[in-house]
Parts: sequence; structure tokens; C-alpha cells
Amino acid sequence: MEGAKQIRFCGFGGQGIILGGKILGNASISAGKWVAGLSTYGGAARGGVCEADIIISDDLIIFPQVIQVDVLIAMSQSAYNKNIGTVNKETGLVIYDTQLVSTKEVNGLKQIGIPATEAAVKELNNKQVANVVILGAATEMTNMISKDALVEAIKKGVRERFIDLNIKAVDLGFKLGREAISKAK
Amino acid sequence: MGFKQVKSILPPQTHYFSGSDAVVEGAIASGCRYFAGYPLTPATDIAEGFSARAKDVGAVFIQMEDEIASICSIIGASWAGAKVMTATSGPGFSLMQEAIGYAAVTETPIVIALIQRPGPSTGQGTTFASADIMQCKWGSQGDYQVIALCPWSVQEMYDQTINAFNLAEQYRVPVILLSEAAISRLEERVEIKEEIRIFDRAKATGVAALGLPPDNQVQPMPIFGKGHQTKVTGSLRAYSWGLTSDKAVQEMVVSRLHHKIMDNRDEIIEYDSYYREGAEVVVIAYGFTARSSLLAVKALRQDGKKVGMLRLKTIWPFPDRVVAKVGSEVKKLFIPEMNMGQVAGEVMKYTCSKVISYSQTNGDSIQPDTIINELRRLL
Repeated sequence: MEGAKQIRFCGFGGQGIILGGKILGNASISAGKWVAGLSTYGGAARGGVCEADIIISDDLIIFPQVIQVDVLIAMSQSAYNKNIGTVNKETGLVIYDTQLVSTKEVNGLKQIGIPATEAAVKELNNKQVANVVILGAATEMTNMISKDALVEAIKKGVRERFIDLNIKAVDLGFKLGREAISKAK
Repeated sequence: MGFKQVKSILPPQTHYFSGSDAVVEGAIASGCRYFAGYPLTPATDIAEGFSARAKDVGAVFIQMEDEIASICSIIGASWAGAKVMTATSGPGFSLMQEAIGYAAVTETPIVIALIQRPGPSTGQGTTFASADIMQCKWGSQGDYQVIALCPWSVQEMYDQTINAFNLAEQYRVPVILLSEAAISRLEERVEIKEEIRIFDRAKATGVAALGLPPDNQVQPMPIFGKGHQTKVTGSLRAYSWGLTSDKAVQEMVVSRLHHKIMDNRDEIIEYDSYYREGAEVVVIAYGFTARSSLLAVKALRQDGKKVGMLRLKTIWPFPDRVVAKVGSEVKKLFIPEMNMGQVAGEVMKYTCSKVISYSQTNGDSIQPDTIINELRRLL
């Protein structure tokens, strides 16, 4: 799929992975893109590996499942272990939560840690928004959509009393993303 | 009665919906105001979605004690004049079978969203399959017809739900939105148009009862509580409404249920063709597998291979004529399915061309690469 970006957001049930995927999908729609989102999860509501796949494209998407991951965003060790082999080795990017994932070396693959959970607890006093923090960082690092589109999608997809908190989480994520980029340089 | 243009309930714009959201919105746009159901993964999202939207449009949502009660409840509500639906998956659909036959013989317009999952029996709820094709058609006893539609995208989940209600109302027949978890859980953009075209059933006036009309036309439907002596039964009955074992009546009932659909099948059946020009091998696909197939066919065409595709948007009544025509034009037909060859077997009834069935029943969707590899061996 030329020109399409295949993103896999993964972690364990309860972290807000599926919601994160929905927010990213909605954000891409408001940016005028074609999107296909397909999440997978086990029979249990909390605990098991859960994945939200999003394909973002300028053109109609014929096959809506991720074939090879361009951007892997991992928020748990088991999800990382399960999915590290699916990432495009030449051009792929892995973004992981430093507190929850220890990486293994994969030949030439770019892997960047973001302290999403740690920063969410320390700066926002809420672990639950770590998903949005890491999404913010990933958005800043990949330019897949604009920050405005992400904020718009949060306003649409999150309950009203949590909107402010989530927008702060986006800001925090963008800051961590910028720091990670300059460190990588 | 008849077709009319109505304003869409949602604002005309691009939405990001799951397949389940799209079914709910399609139902509400069609005028469905009664939903009875029982939770069953992966169809639960539709019940949840409808229950959340019901209050916005003054619709009734009721969670019944099981799937048998759910379908009986919508049959009753349909006779009270409402457009009705339920949603379920394989295990619940099995329980509904007796009542589907009842809806067919009483000519009750109902819509069932069937979101398939791997079976047999309970099987598993969170993986993919498309193995209830035959159950849709042959699940209840006796000879009867249903209509089954097979969407391949979230946009089509919306469009075909509207179509399902229109067909149910027009032909007074159970219509099954024959979908699968890979589409109901998929999230894509959906364009909502300013207006949609909907069909409202013809309502009977005067002394109606069911009766047995001499031709195969669809009769106006009486409504409970509107002054008629309306009777409904699944038993064979004569004009006088007494039970009967009259051979002529039995034959007329069976023939009527068959012909009212089959004589109109060119109107009902929809399909799409891709890259068929000059094709030597044609893939026949439906639902999610048609998306894998199209990517495979496109890739092979770019490679100069003479391969095309026919996508079945309607599964029942089976698109026999187009299948026969395509079969007469090509050397081989390749049919990838998430079951043991249910549509492939049906295709064989209508063509002498070589039919190659490809089955995958491991709970995964069939990947484009798999289809490319299989097709390369045939080309």
C-alpha cells in the first residue's frame, strides 16, 4: 500500500489502547484522510494483549488490515514482544513506553523510548492518560496528522469532564516527542 | 407506501464509524423504531449502539431473555406496524431458526444483522469466520426464501442496512445483513448523504387477514389493532383461516414464497465486477475476503496477469445468472472463503467452468498474499 501509513498501537487491556486508536482514526478523518481501523483483543476485558491498528492514507484503502507495521507504539512488554517482528525493518519506527518495555536490539530498526506512564503520573497525577501522552509524542515524531486534528478528535471522543486533562496529556506528549527527537539527533 | 426520499437523520458529512455504528445509523435512518436483542459477541456492539440512540429518535430497545424471544418480539412488533430488527451471531442465529421460518411463511418484514464468528456451536467470539452462508438460506424447515446481503466496507454496512429494510418492507420477507466481525469491528469513513431513499410497506385496508393471493405479488399488510380481524399463524391455513391439509393450498404457499423472491431476483441482486476484461481466471468473493481478493487481483493485473474479480453483494437469492455468465467466459473460477467452500458449492450448480475452492477456517482473515500465491499457481 503505497503512501499509506500502517500504525499499530498496542498494550494490555485497560490502558485505553482501543480508545487511543479511535482518537487517532477520528483525527485522521478530520484531516481529510482515508482511514481503516481494526482493533483486536482477547476474551477478557483487562490484562490481555490488545492492539489497535490504524491505516492512514491519502487514497481509498482497499485492504483494511495492517500487513507490515510502519509505526509500532508499544505500551506493554508482551505486546512489544508479540509485535516487534511485524515492523518494517528498513523504514519502521518503534515508540515504546520506557517504564513498561525493555527493548531488544533489532538490526538497524529505530526504537525510541517515551516515558509516557512515568510523566503522566508525575506531571498530571493520572496514569490513565499515558495512552494520550504517547499518542501525542508519536504524532509529533511522525507528523502523521496535525496537533489540532488530534485535539479535535479528543474533544469529540472523550467524556466532557476528561477533555482538559487529555488536552494537557497531548501537550505533554508533544513535549516528550520533541525532546526525544532532539536526543535522537 | 412505496419508495420515498427522506432526510438523513445524521448531518450530511464524513463520519468515522465502526461497522456496528453504521448498522445502527442505517437502521435508524430507515425508520427502524423497534430493536429486541440478546448480547452476543461480536453482535453486541449493534445492540449497545441502538440502545444508546433509541431515545434520540423515540425508538424502543428491549433486551430479551434470549435470542428466541428476541426474534419473536420483533415479529410481533412488525405486525404492529413497526420497522424492526435484531442482531446476533452464529449461536443466537441457530436459536432463531424456527422463528425465521415463521416470519417467512407469515411474510413478516424483519431485518437480522448476523455478525458471523467461528463455529460450530459456541466456537469463539473474537476471531473471524464467514461460515453461516448456508444456514441463512436453509436454517429453518421447509422451502422458503430469504434475502441476504453481504457488505464489504463500513460504508456498505450503512447503505446495505438501509437496503435491507427496503427489501424487507417491499417483499415482506426476512432480510439478513450477512456480515462478519472483520467488518462490524472495522472502522472507516462513512459519507452520509443529505437524503436517502426508503420504502414503507403497503398497509392493508378493509378485511385483510393473510389470505392466499392467486398470483405471486406481495400483498398489502394489515396491522394489529387497526380494526381488522388480523390473524397470523405458521400452520397451513385456507382462505377461511381454518387449518387445512388441502394439497393445492400447500403447494400454493410454497410456490408463492419461492416465486415472490425468485421472479424478482434481477431487481434484488447486486454485484460488482473488477478487471474482468480479458480475464482467464476470475475470483468470486464477498464480504471481507473480497477486500483481500481485490488487492491481490490488482497486484496481479499490474504484473500483466489475466485475472479479474466478481464481488457478490447479494448472497441470497444467489446471483445464479451472473455466475453462469462469468463461468461461460473464463477457464477457471477461484473462490476464497472463510468456510469450507459454501459459496463455491453453490457456484458449481450454475457453471461447467472449473471451480477452485480455497478454504481457510483458522479464525484469521485471508491475506492478499495468500490469494496472490494461490492465483499464481492457476495462471
